Amino acid sequence: MTAAGRPGIGWWLLILPALLLLLVFYIGPILQVLAISVTEPEPGLGNYERIFTSESVQRVIITTLRICLITTVLALLLGYGIAYTITLASPRAKGWWILAVLVPLWISVLVRAFAWVTLLRRQGLVNNTLINAGVITEPLPLVWNEFGIIVGMVHYMVPFAVLPMLASMREIDPRLLAAARGLGASRGQVFRQVFLPLSKPGILAACVLVFIFSLGFYITPAILGGGKTLMVAEWISLQILDLIRWGLGTMMATMLIFAIIATLVVFSRIVDLRRIFGSGA
Amino acid sequence: MQSFQQDCVDLAFRRHRRGEVDRRTLLAGLAALGAGVFGGSEALAQAARQLVMVNWGGVANQGFGNFYGAPFVAANPGWTVAQDSTGPSAGRIRSMVESGRVTWDLCDSSATSSYLLGGLNLLSRIDYAIVNRENVIGPTFALDHGAAPYSFSNVLVYDSSKFPTAPTGWADFWDLQKFPGTRLLRRDAAGTLDAAQISLGKDMANLYPLDVRASLARVREIRRNLVFWTGGAESEQFIRTGEAVMGQIWHTRAKVLEQESNGRFKFIWNQGILQPGIFVIPRGNPGGEMAQRLLASMLANPEPQVELLKFLGNGPTNPRAAALVPEEFKRFNPTEPANARVQVAQNGRWWGENYARVNADYIDMVTG
Repeated sequence: MTAAGRPGIGWWLLILPALLLLLVFYIGPILQVLAISVTEPEPGLGNYERIFTSESVQRVIITTLRICLITTVLALLLGYGIAYTITLASPRAKGWWILAVLVPLWISVLVRAFAWVTLLRRQGLVNNTLINAGVITEPLPLVWNEFGIIVGMVHYMVPFAVLPMLASMREIDPRLLAAARGLGASRGQVFRQVFLPLSKPGILAACVLVFIFSLGFYITPAILGGGKTLMVAEWISLQILDLIRWGLGTMMATMLIFAIIATLVVFSRIVDLRRIFGSGA
Repeated sequence: MQSFQQDCVDLAFRRHRRGEVDRRTLLAGLAALGAGVFGGSEALAQAARQLVMVNWGGVANQGFGNFYGAPFVAANPGWTVAQDSTGPSAGRIRSMVESGRVTWDLCDSSATSSYLLGGLNLLSRIDYAIVNRENVIGPTFALDHGAAPYSFSNVLVYDSSKFPTAPTGWADFWDLQKFPGTRLLRRDAAGTLDAAQISLGKDMANLYPLDVRASLARVREIRRNLVFWTGGAESEQFIRTGEAVMGQIWHTRAKVLEQESNGRFKFIWNQGILQPGIFVIPRGNPGGEMAQRLLASMLANPEPQVELLKFLGNGPTNPRAAALVPEEFKRFNPTEPANARVQVAQNGRWWGENYARVNADYIDMVTG
């Protein structure tokens, strides 16, 4: 830092390589994608018009949004329960809990998707157990549909929901809870009126993280959807590689980027994003 | 979407891992698929000129062999054939030729793509003064913009333990009353709609042009009872694990199912959709006319084609090959005269002209 507290030119030179790298290998290609979306098959906004006129484009957008919303809600509910339990657990148990949350994160998403197929298919563990127990006579359709996709995605997203909420819950002063109890609040009241409002920044952070992650999900829906349920990412790859409709594919890719930016902008109005993602403080 | 060639390479490696074939046979098989480096390292070091053949099998580039390559390399000293496993999809060939920097000589493609790309003037015409038309069994194997050293078929496979009577064709495939259970189709219009059209009772000799609207509606009829595959291994898995009781899959996978289940899973040739494994030459390829000579040599030698049939099941296209096929392999050869007679040769020209539009509609219907 210079005397005035402003970064000197030397500091800027330090980040220059990273900046160039981003420009050439990240920003550049994204601009190219944007360019193709307005030039193929003919110059103009014809591809974007399809959002309003093409039933199949609308369907893939709606399917994606529906699956993402359901996934986000379920992951938040499950994640909140886990984060709450961890916060209140003894320090020894806490370590084990956090390990249990992190281990799935380290397992390849591909392996996890196939594991779910093994569990959920017609002659899978779940259906076989239920049939042998006499609960059902015909196997339930648990996979190759939206249900299967949501199971796989929620499983993937729960750790991403737990971690920001846990961080925010740890900042809650336990003495506040004790004080509320001392002032005559019931356990339920303490949770609803003290703990829940104080953990709100964590919930919002988890919400942003899980929702944005879900939007671009590719492998899990491709495997568990059985080819019948298409989400945006798989739809884009289909347009580019198989149908050679590059204009349409890049249009959707651009829309995806804008959807993510829009989500971030909206949430940044409500919460301090820099704090959520760990910078600043 | 996995192509047929990619799947063959997968199968080859699986058989090698299980110890069913030795390393030598594996490499020879990969080379026959166009997925090895021909000529050997010594020749490669000396070579000033090489042809680049493009295939779909990544790991295969490590392999060395000389099934198809040896006759060509022997006849053309100083030339070698290198392999590139980028996967020559129609989109990639298009962007390469349009950019004007062509590095590929011979690409493992399809009849549909050859018409699609040929129509856009992105391919060299096959020079039938060099490539001998007499070396293939039928006109669908020697096209204007490509020729086929092997063939494959989309056949009906079924779980014989589920049905008292065996299905005999696509009409049975669509008959959910008589043959109840989940069906398996490829998430690709080509092959699927041909079968749908046959199931509607259209004469197989005059199958094309397909009635797209009626065929799509036909698939939609059984949509609730359908699952879809995109890769060969996946198609095998769906049948093996009982997710589907009847399906349309590549005959190479159907053969594996039938043999490994001791006949519980069976497949029929009747009304199979017979397709050529077409190789194409991108316009402005660096090797020029030599690519035509390589293709000619691949078509002219029946022995390696028969070896490939024994190894994986790809059908030979050379008319002299059928006589060389041992009895026990005839059952699995799509171009065996008795098998070829009951199949329908897919019309690559019609599909080339209609594929992009029809497949988009098909996928919309499937995911709708």
